[in-house]
Formats: sequence, structure tokens, C-alpha cells
Amino acid sequence: MKFQIPIGPQHPALKEPISLRMTVEGEVIVDADIRLGYNHRGVEKVAEEKNWTQNLYLTERICGICSHSHSTCYVQGVEKLMEIEPPKRGMYIRYLISELERVHSHLLWLGVAGHEAGFDSFFMYTWRDREIVMDLLELITGNRVHYAINALGGVRRDLDEIQKAKVLEGVKTLRERSVYYFKIGASEPSFVARIAGVGHLPLEKAVSLCAVGPTARASGWSRDVRKEDPYAVYDELDFDVATADTCDVLGRVVVRVKELLESYKMIEQMIRMLPAGDIAVKAPRKAKPGEVVSRYEAPRGENIHYIKANGTDKPERLKVRAPTLANYPATVEMLRSGFIADIPLIFAAIDPCICCAERAVVLTSARSGEERIVRLGDLRRLGLERHRKAPLKRNAVWPF
Amino acid sequence: MTDAEIIEKLKADLGDKIAEISNPGRRRLFLKVAPADLVPVTETLRDKYGLVFLSTISGLDTGEAFELIYHFSTPGTDFNLRTEIPRADPHIPSISPLIPGAILYERELQDMFGIVVDNIPDPRRVILPDDWPDEQYPLRKDWKHDRPAEIIPGGES
Repeated sequence: MKFQIPIGPQHPALKEPISLRMTVEGEVIVDADIRLGYNHRGVEKVAEEKNWTQNLYLTERICGICSHSHSTCYVQGVEKLMEIEPPKRGMYIRYLISELERVHSHLLWLGVAGHEAGFDSFFMYTWRDREIVMDLLELITGNRVHYAINALGGVRRDLDEIQKAKVLEGVKTLRERSVYYFKIGASEPSFVARIAGVGHLPLEKAVSLCAVGPTARASGWSRDVRKEDPYAVYDELDFDVATADTCDVLGRVVVRVKELLESYKMIEQMIRMLPAGDIAVKAPRKAKPGEVVSRYEAPRGENIHYIKANGTDKPERLKVRAPTLANYPATVEMLRSGFIADIPLIFAAIDPCICCAERAVVLTSARSGEERIVRLGDLRRLGLERHRKAPLKRNAVWPF
Repeated sequence: MTDAEIIEKLKADLGDKIAEISNPGRRRLFLKVAPADLVPVTETLRDKYGLVFLSTISGLDTGEAFELIYHFSTPGTDFNLRTEIPRADPHIPSISPLIPGAILYERELQDMFGIVVDNIPDPRRVILPDDWPDEQYPLRKDWKHDRPAEIIPGGES
């Protein structure tokens, strides 16, 4: 007897709106289907109406966790179209933020993986340490989520000696802790038993379904845009591509921990090799007609933007393919023949990207139709007020 | 193999199936093929040049035609396969039987441009909602979004 179980688009186990439809026999998944589009915002269409600078901030808002990935992928393409070369120092700062972002994203993911596997102390450890890198990002850029460090032709802010020292100090702490996690992850038999063999994706399937990033690398496919198509500063840095050959969630954990260690190495190299000079050049307002394919290794895998210019100050076309989309066909494969209880773990293992939190809310009065902007603090006060006045029966007891 | 050597080899292997070939930057090859040759050329490239990884498919509305670019990448170089189909009769053969990972991008083309992908294994909508009106293709240049008038429950008072 086959049943279909819908999970999502709104479900406590998934933090983003997506609909997974599982066909199950008993508790074994025999087939899976993914429905997308619940969060489609029409960014590609909007981009055709905005100018080159406005699109920089638009692309940054494609994602809340890897915001810098999209804006960097876009900016490195547009700089090629505009035929400008950012100064070396600007480049180093831009890709330093890239690596710091990868560290924060992987630490976040490790916590989620620990949580989904029922290892909540792992989750609390990694998220505590993620604050170190979040503070470093805020120290350098001024923001925790949307760093807005990129500008057409370079970056917006310079690094000083104190910041450099703080980054090195933070990375030192993070490295010690990551090595420790690698050790406890490996020596905790129940954690390993929970994730080993779950979400199996054999190498030939990863290749035929065009998987990207840590998902592909955990199946033994050694592909990394930073190594294969070294953009900007990556051909000057010394790093290795992390892979695993277990083809399961365990492999994906191992790959991400190894990538963390590689990122720390790159951050230290970039801080030590940081050249002197300007951080940005002035960019023209328009770009000559032309086209460019820009590739970037985001924390979740290859990110690709195709940009076509028509000679005006707006793009003719901006095509964005985020890494999570590329991993969906592989996810369906991983879910097949798994158990219902493994769904959150398998789905979380591709690190699906979650949209960013809002800081201001526009409220429309149901009576007058009037719109006003409310700050988070005011919203909280309104909520407490409402709760205080609500006709609730307090200190109620169970009626025997 | 450098990009120039690959171009020479491509010319020898595929001959007149490639209408244009350009190399605007390091690791960026743009090849133009006729829509009818798309599947055989993809098959040759996959078997002889190791093009197993498709990054995405970009669609573009040029006014009279739809331009499609298939972005492939290999450890050696990136191949961008360009083809053009008339806007009046937009049909393109599916490459999903060759590259199973292409399915979502082909479904996206159907949704956003109204391109008919022939022999597609799974023709359902992927991005647009199920109740989206027919014949509305958001990424066509002549499509404009009109925000429907907002209705406030209970009316304004």
C-alpha cells in the first residue's frame, strides 16, 4: 500500500517554503517530488528595470546567508563588462569577506546538521562560535547579514591594523575549536551512526544530476570553481579541495569541516599578503554591449550569473542560478529508499538557502487602509500590550 | 589543453555543425549551433570532451527570437552552447535524456519564456504557481506586471 505524504510548503521541520511530496511504503520512501516557487520574487525581471549599481544591492538580497556570494558573482561579471580592474587591495578585502562568509555559513550548517541528528550540544557549540565570525564580519563591513562591502570597481571599506589583528585572533580561536569538533564528531559513535549511510548519493548519480559544492564533493567528485576556474585572487592562494568518498551525510559533514580549515588558512594568507594601495576605482555609469559568464564558489556550491549588457545603464538580461537549485535533482535521488525520519537530515544536508529576516514591517490598518512602518521594538511593545489586554484566563487549573 | 587547441579540435570534430565560435576570455568558449543540431552536438561533446556538467540554461528574448545558452563546464574549460529559435514557433529538443540534471532548467524555460521543450521527461510547471494564467510568460520582454488592486477586507471606512 502506497501513501503520499506532503511536507511543506509550511512545515516546522523546514525553515523555508518548499513542498516535498513523498510516496512511502510503510516508512520507506519509494519516490519523492519537489515543488518550488513558493518564494519566487522575480529578481531576474526586476534586474532588467534597475541600473548597474541598484542591481548590486538587489543581487545581495537574493539570499540572506550567502548574500556576499551573489553580489560578488554579479560584481565580478559587471567589472569585466565595464572593462575595469579593481585594485589588488580591494580584491583581497572582497575575497576575505567571501571566506569569512563561508566560515559562518558552514558553522551554521554544522549546527543544523547536529540538531537534525539529535546532537544538540554540537549545535550550541558551533552556533556560539559562529558569533565570533559574525562579529568579525560586522567589524569589517558594519553589517552582520548584508555586508554591502562590494562596490563596482572595488570595495566600500578599508581594513586597518587593529581589524587585521582581530581577524587573525578570531581565526586562531575558530581553528582550535573546529579541530576539536572534528575530533568529537569522529569519536561520538551515536552521532556517526545516525549520519553514516543516510542520504546515499553515488558518484555517477552526482555527476549525471549535475550536483554542486559540498554535496558533489562528498560523493568524491573533486570540483571547486576556486580551483578549476581560479577567479580574482584564488590562484595566488594555497589551499586544497576537500572531498570525501562516503557519499552520505557523514561525508557532507566531513567535507564542510575540512573546508572550514581550508578557509581559515586562506583568511590568514589574505591578511598577511594584503597589498597596500587603493581599495576601489571609479566605475562608469554604462557598460558597452557584451555578455559575460561569471562563476563563483558559494558555500553551497557553484553560483553562476550570465549578464548581458546592451549599452545602457541597465542590464539586458541577468540570469542567476543559485547552487541550491542545482542540488534539487540530487536531493530527490538521496531521499529515495531512505526513511521518513531521515527527511529533515537529508534535506538539511544540501544546506538549502533560507531567505533573510526583516527588520522593519509595513502594517496596513484593516479599517483605514493606512500604511505605516513599525520598528521591531515598537512591534514587540504592541504585542506585549495586546497580550496584556487579551481576555485570557490566567493561572487556570485543570478541571477535575 | 588550452582554449585555442580545443577550438582547433572542435572545428575538426564538428565541422560545419558549429556556425560560430568565439573565445572572449580565459576558459570561456561560445559556440553557436542550429537548434536541430543541439542534441547531436551535445552528445558528441559529452562523449568526446567530457561535458557532463551543465551549470544552467539562460534564456533571452531578443524581440524576434529566443536565444538559449547552455552553460557547460569541465575541469579544462567552459563551453557555452548558443542556439536561436524563432519567437513565433519556439520549439527546442530536450537534452535531459543526455544530461538528466538539465530537467529543472528546461522546465524553467517553459515557465518563464513559453518555450516548448520537445520530449521533456517531466513537463510540469516548476516555478510559477498552479493557478497562474496560461500564455503569461514573465521573462518575455513584452510582459509587464500589473499589480492587481489591493482589496482590503471590510472595505475602507
